[in-house]
Amino acid sequence: MTKQVPNPNEPKWRSTLNVAMPLNLSYIPIGLACGVLLHAAGFNTILTGLVSIFIFSGGAQFMIASMLTINAPLLSIVLMLFFLELRYALLGSSLSKYLVGTSERFKLIFAVSMNDENYAVNYLKFATDKKWTPREALMVEHYSLLFWTISNIIGSLVGSALKIDLTVVHFALTALFLYMIIMQVKNRLTIFIGLIAAVLAVFFLVLTKSTLGLVISTLISSFIGFALEHYLRNKKPGSHFLYKVRSPASKEAAVEEESDEN
Amino acid sequence: MAAVNHWNTAQHLLLVILGFFVAFAPRYLPIKIFTQRKIPEWFNEWMKFIPVSLFTALVVKDVFVSPTYQFDVVHHIPEIIASIIVGLIAYFTRSMALSVVVGLISVFLLAVVL
Repeated sequence: MTKQVPNPNEPKWRSTLNVAMPLNLSYIPIGLACGVLLHAAGFNTILTGLVSIFIFSGGAQFMIASMLTINAPLLSIVLMLFFLELRYALLGSSLSKYLVGTSERFKLIFAVSMNDENYAVNYLKFATDKKWTPREALMVEHYSLLFWTISNIIGSLVGSALKIDLTVVHFALTALFLYMIIMQVKNRLTIFIGLIAAVLAVFFLVLTKSTLGLVISTLISSFIGFALEHYLRNKKPGSHFLYKVRSPASKEAAVEEESDEN
Repeated sequence: MAAVNHWNTAQHLLLVILGFFVAFAPRYLPIKIFTQRKIPEWFNEWMKFIPVSLFTALVVKDVFVSPTYQFDVVHHIPEIIASIIVGLIAYFTRSMALSVVVGLISVFLLAVVL
C-alpha cells in the first residue's frame, strides 16, 4: 500500500527527505523529552544543542541526563558513554562496503552524524536500492540530525512545563528497529539468528549490567549467523534454513543484496 | 527550579567534548579502516548479520530488560503486545511510518488499559 513509485524528476533533497521522514517524526517526541531531561539535569539550551549535534545519540543523551542527576563523576560518565558508543563500530564496519571510494573528508563527515536510527534507514536503502548513494545517505543523516537537534532545543526551552511519558515515546524507536528486523528477514536462518541474538542480548545485558552487553551479543550472534550460513551453503545446500521468506506485500525478497553472490 | 546537578557550564562543555571523542572514534575508525584496504569476503559475509543481531539486541533491551539490567517481563506487558502488533504491521504493509505510528498508538492505549 505504500509502495512508492520513484519519480525521476523529483529533486534529491525531497526524495531523501521522504526516506528520512518516518525517522524525523519519531525523533520529535523523543527529542523533546530528551531536551526536557537535559534541562532538568542542569544543561543550558546552547549545550543541549551542542550535545545533540556532536554526540547525536538518544541513548547517550538520556544517559548523560540521568547520570548528572545522580551526580556521577565526569570520568565515570565518559567511560559509560564509551561503552555505550562502542556499538557504532559495528555500524561503521557493516556500512563500509557501501562507502568504498568516497573521499576522506566525506567519511569523516559521514561518521560524525551516524547513529543507530539513521544507520538503520540507510542500511536498508543500500541493501535494497542499488541506486542509493553515500551522498543521499549523508542527507538522511543530516535531516535526522536537524529534527533531533531542534526537538532537543525546544524541549530544553520549554523545560519542565512539558510532561512527556518517556516509556511511550521511546517505543517509537523500538518500533523502528522492529520494522528494520522484519525488513532484514530473507530466509529462515535470519529468523533463527534473530532468536539467538535475543537470548544472547538478555544474557549479556544482565551479565555485564551495561550496554556493553549489546556489543558482545551482537558480535557473537552475527558470527554464529556467518558460520552457520557458511556451513549450510557448503555442506547442506538444500537445508530448510536457507528457504527464502517472502512478504505478502512485496514481490521481491526483503533484502536482495546477495543476489549477485553465487 | 534549582538544578539537581551542581556542575557549571564549563564542566558540562568538557563532558560534551569528551563525549564527542568517545562517540566519534568508534564511528569513524572502522569506516576509515574498512574502506581503505581490501576486505576479505568472509568479513562482509559476517557483517551482513550485524543489522539483524544489533536491532534485535536493541529491541530486546527495550522490551525485556529493565533500566537496572534485570530480565523483566511483568512490567513490560504493553510493550510486548505492542511489539507483536508492530511486527505484524511491518510484515504485512512494509511501511516504516505505519509501523511506528501504530506502535506508538498501541503502546499508549495498552499502557492505559493494562
